[in-house]
Amino acid sequence: MSADTPFVTLSGVSKAFAGVKVLKDVSFDVRAGEVHALLGENGAGKSTLIKILSGLYTPDGGTITVDGRQMKLTSPRDATAAGIATVYQELLLFPELSVAENIFLGHYPRTSSGAIDWSAVRSRARDLLDQLDTRELDVDTKVLTLSVAQRQRVEIAKALSRDAKILIMDEPTASLVEADVQRLMGIVRQLRERGVGIVYVSHRLPEIFALADRVTVLRDGAHVATRDIGEVDERQLVSLMVGRPIDSLFPKVEAAIGDTVLQVDGLNRGRQVRDISFSLRKGEILGIAGLVGSGRTELALTLFGMTPATSGTVVLDGKPVAIRSPRQARDLGIAYVPEDRGLQGLVKPMAIRKNISMATIDRLSSGIFIRAAQEARRATEAVKRLGVRCRSIGQPVGELSGGNQQKVVIAKWLETSPKVLILDEPTRGVDVGAKAEIHTIMGELVRQGVAILMISSELPEVLGMSDRVLVMAGGRIMEELSREEATPERVGAAMTAHKEAA
Amino acid sequence: MTLRSFIRHETFLAILLVLALFVLSWQSDRFFTVANLLNQGRLMTETGLIAIAMTFVIATGGIDLSVGSILGLTAILTGVFWKNLGVPLPAAAVAAIAVGTFAGYVNGLIITRFRVPALIATLATLALYRGLAEGVSQARSVRGYPDWFYVLGQGEVLGVPTQLWILLIAAVVAAVILAYTRWGRTTYAIGSNEVAARFSGLSVEGTKLALYTMSGFAAAVAAVIFVSRVSTTRSDMGSGIELDAITAVVLGGTSIFGGRGTVLGTVLGLCLIQALKNGLSLAGVKGDGTIMLIGIVLILAVLASAIFERSGTR
Repeated sequence: MSADTPFVTLSGVSKAFAGVKVLKDVSFDVRAGEVHALLGENGAGKSTLIKILSGLYTPDGGTITVDGRQMKLTSPRDATAAGIATVYQELLLFPELSVAENIFLGHYPRTSSGAIDWSAVRSRARDLLDQLDTRELDVDTKVLTLSVAQRQRVEIAKALSRDAKILIMDEPTASLVEADVQRLMGIVRQLRERGVGIVYVSHRLPEIFALADRVTVLRDGAHVATRDIGEVDERQLVSLMVGRPIDSLFPKVEAAIGDTVLQVDGLNRGRQVRDISFSLRKGEILGIAGLVGSGRTELALTLFGMTPATSGTVVLDGKPVAIRSPRQARDLGIAYVPEDRGLQGLVKPMAIRKNISMATIDRLSSGIFIRAAQEARRATEAVKRLGVRCRSIGQPVGELSGGNQQKVVIAKWLETSPKVLILDEPTRGVDVGAKAEIHTIMGELVRQGVAILMISSELPEVLGMSDRVLVMAGGRIMEELSREEATPERVGAAMTAHKEAA
Repeated sequence: MTLRSFIRHETFLAILLVLALFVLSWQSDRFFTVANLLNQGRLMTETGLIAIAMTFVIATGGIDLSVGSILGLTAILTGVFWKNLGVPLPAAAVAAIAVGTFAGYVNGLIITRFRVPALIATLATLALYRGLAEGVSQARSVRGYPDWFYVLGQGEVLGVPTQLWILLIAAVVAAVILAYTRWGRTTYAIGSNEVAARFSGLSVEGTKLALYTMSGFAAAVAAVIFVSRVSTTRSDMGSGIELDAITAVVLGGTSIFGGRGTVLGTVLGLCLIQALKNGLSLAGVKGDGTIMLIGIVLILAVLASAIFERSGTR
């Protein structure tokens, strides 16, 4: 088999759910020893395609050819047998079992008498992890104690234990910190050297340019293009995905920066918020960069009253305030769009209308009754203003795509007319088009005089959107940089300075 | 959770109820009479009051198992305050209701302050309050209440049993609160996603505390009605009533995981159970058979609603 012969080929594959076509006549192939990136906005059909490849969905039409033979993948078991393994975004390990048990679950090596050969389980698990340069991980550790990055490596080891020829990775870096991303990319390259074909799904274009050999773009369930990575640049990829040209990835709006709105001095809370001092002005976007665990989110939670400060002062609009609860923060004009949209931001089964009014339900009530007409009118306006794509304001929020869900959370907080808007990972898991829209919304808000505190793991976003940047590590602010001073090198160095000192 | 899926479950229940009434009245000519139906209304009031409050509690994803014990405790205290301590009966009843309400408040405190799961907290107070009731009563029953007191449980107003009016008013008020007020909205939000509710600045702890207190209050009022209806007070009153109430709530379409449910559904569930109990016994079916049938109806109703919901969301 030559290097260019695909190991797996999907041709003309279609899939519909309840009459809605989510995949239309899509062809896709993966060769051994290549990284094939799969790109597309949310709802473009990437996950459906992956699920067909991994045997979870059976296509309505089209053929699947594996290693030259046409087959039907009717269950994950079939896919595994054909040499296709998947590492899902939400890692599917058993937390109470050990690393070795997880790796070999379902196909434990047996002794001649048929009992599980535990010493083989452990030694082969050790081997597999060593191949992934994961020598520090003990095979007897329970999975629940592992970090996300470590669990991911266990998943990869599990795939290798079944001799996977094709490895599908669904947003593998979505919840990893930068150092782990680098390490993962190293592992992916190494797997490619060994001849494994990798289907790599990610929203992060820089990663795709660093890793992929080929890239396929899907839009609205249809195949748009498959190119060698050398033939395209970032701008072209984005316009292929979105279906229209995007002017700039980070449309920085120059807003007039006014008086100080928020002045924080010596704020403390536990180990993650230590002696924090900064100021925030009207019309300003203050970016907070830092690794996961640097205290970024904890600082936001303290300002929002979820975990009230134990010492320090907060001055809002010239008045000292003590924020003890989210309710109080809201009444003072501080809004927080949380990091975890699904868990903290939205009540998914509830209608868009009810989610948008959730933080302002007191104001929308006369006496005890909710003024339903006013609630509906405000929700309609908000949906229009923020460009939420939905059937109606009565649609459950859970049915929307990630980007539209995020817009609903932002809409909810804009209803409170905040002076200070804290955005925690405002574009995580949001597709490129919606991301640009959210950035545009941010620009409009600062022009109206809102002060924005933006936390982001994505360095280009922090550097592209912020007027000033605070770099946090170990619960402290390590450095405050102006827009001009904030280069990736300087911010990166400050982010990791704490670890090196410790 | 669209409006359509709501209507579906309740319509389904209403059809089931009409069907049951039809079949049962065909089985026994003593069933579908005004006198019998009103009397059945009388019998279901205590469970009904508790079930209405329970609808809110379950809609937040919680549960209150201690209501039967609160009922028993309140009943005993009414008798003891009046007979042994010589407090005038109206004052005794009010004081006992206050204690029952406080018992509910304690449930709420344990659940919100100490983050004990509602199931465990109220399982513990189920034992605690029943133990208190038995300790106070010393295994003696209180009888011989004045005649005017029986108006509540045995009398009629405008030809309808007194307590049925109370149930009706409670149901209407509760239905309006759950559907149209911010408390109702907060209740659903907590049940669907408590964390997001908290992150939205809703008063999660305050609402829960109020709901468990209300649940205690409903059980306490039910206790006084119960005493008035049966003319006597015993410490084992109301044991097992929590399960009847929960059955009515769940049959009524309230999700045991929270976030979904209506008072109308609970009332329909309540009527259906009562109709089956009474109608079947009039038709000569033994008690065990009736219980089994109620269990089967519950499973079918929940299954049907799950099927409706699935076809609705895809």
